[in-house]
Amino acid sequence: MTPALEFSGIEGGYEPGLPILRGAGARVMPGEIVTLLGPNGAGKSTLVKAAAGLVPVWAGRVTLGGRDITGMPAHRMVHEGLGFVPQTENVFANLSVLDNLKLAAALVAKRRRRELAEMFALFPDLDRQRGLAAGRLSGGQRQMLAVARALVASPSVLMLDEPSAGLSPKLVGVVFDRLRAVRDAGVPILLVEQNVKAALALADRAVVLVEGRERLEGAAREVAADPRLKALYFGAHEEAA
Amino acid sequence: MLQLVADGLVVGSVIALGAVGLTLTYSILRFANFGQGEFMTWGAYLAVSALALVLAVTGAGVMEPLGPFSFGWQLIPAMALAAVLTAAIALAVDWALFRRLRRQGNAITLVIASFGAALALRNLVQFLYGTLPEYYTREIQIAIRLVPRDVLGGLRITPDQMLVIGLSLLLVVALHVMLARTTLGRAMRATAMNPALARVAGVDVDGVVRATWVIGAMLAAVAGVMAGVVGQVRPMLGFDLLLPLFAAAILGGIGSVWGAVLGGYIVGLAESFSVPLFGAEYRAATAFLVLIGILLLRPTGIFGERA
Repeated sequence: MTPALEFSGIEGGYEPGLPILRGAGARVMPGEIVTLLGPNGAGKSTLVKAAAGLVPVWAGRVTLGGRDITGMPAHRMVHEGLGFVPQTENVFANLSVLDNLKLAAALVAKRRRRELAEMFALFPDLDRQRGLAAGRLSGGQRQMLAVARALVASPSVLMLDEPSAGLSPKLVGVVFDRLRAVRDAGVPILLVEQNVKAALALADRAVVLVEGRERLEGAAREVAADPRLKALYFGAHEEAA
Repeated sequence: MLQLVADGLVVGSVIALGAVGLTLTYSILRFANFGQGEFMTWGAYLAVSALALVLAVTGAGVMEPLGPFSFGWQLIPAMALAAVLTAAIALAVDWALFRRLRRQGNAITLVIASFGAALALRNLVQFLYGTLPEYYTREIQIAIRLVPRDVLGGLRITPDQMLVIGLSLLLVVALHVMLARTTLGRAMRATAMNPALARVAGVDVDGVVRATWVIGAMLAAVAGVMAGVVGQVRPMLGFDLLLPLFAAAILGGIGSVWGAVLGGYIVGLAESFSVPLFGAEYRAATAFLVLIGILLLRPTGIFGERA
């Protein structure tokens, strides 16, 4: 089966000569949630940003449903079917909830555009706040709007960078429940997370990244039980590898 | 008193349109474009050439006044053509200069480059058109008395001046509707807020940048033509208005369209009221005193938001 999204041998970073990704690889199969884990500085966020076209890729390939999208301008990725929700500042705070969604919908071809009513059905909280400036939403509502904004364009894969950051445990549960619903509706998800426990409980598979390279991969339950996971987080990656 | 208000509103309308373009380019391109005044000058001069062309093509030879105005209908297509050509100049300057410098991400370099571009544009206009003033029409307009002299000193205004105020308001309302209701407007607001997020949301940011240059330059061109209609077309037209443009944009809160409009009117009124109070030579100084006073009370400008 063709992976929905696949990275192979990705090298890249923000400054030339200072690589953050050193041959990173991962893949997301249709219908699954894959979580990308790793200690701080492992390159998790950089990898999804590189895939989304926000960080230069110096070597390696990114394929979306088998099509090579490496180095494509960020805005074209959306038209190709790659949705991305950044960790912070992921909604247009000066636009209303409705305008955030209308803009996202208007930017993609009609065949890709989903009805806004569908989004409001999936995220009822947003329906009640549609006229409110997005900057005035609560943290959880902002995350939901950010996800809805990405979903409006019917992505073939959705990438999220730490959607639980700054949320209370209760809200993390709500957001993750919605992500499960998104996956069940047929959109595979690549999820970067620091909240290892919650991420492994949600995901089907996990990839652990250390120093810009994948060190552990497997079914989420197996990775959760693998003693190497703790070792990788506490710096014993040579032994663990 | 009323006369000073009317005079201030006329000057303020021209400043407001130029300042709206300035504030748009600042919020999306993230640098203060000192070339905005020169787009006004170029717009005014290109309209002189376009008017000659329209008169030649239509075989009219001379312009018959349109209704109560001093100019004929030929100035309308000439102004539209001048606005399009000014937008083309803005795009060319961006392509040749600013686009390359934007990649390096240094705002100071961009500002200094815009100084250079302004100087080059001003000298080019002098080289092509000379330094003597030009006029769209030599018709003399008689001001209409709207308010009798015994009511707050009375008010006389020419139809051209009324048109300047009306057209300025119409264009600003049209811009507001465009920014609020259209995909391009939402994309411009989104890019101004967060360019990286705009990219991953599917906005073609380079396209938005081009649209911003086009809109800002067209507004400047119309402002330049309006300044020429109620005054003269001269090489220093834009340069003389540059500081009031910045004063208006900063006073209103840089990045805010309505702030720039309100700022334009405040600067225009301050200049107008300073003439009887302090003398015409202190017009610009008075406008800046008002700017300093408002910024001391509200450092982000009237509609500005804290960073």
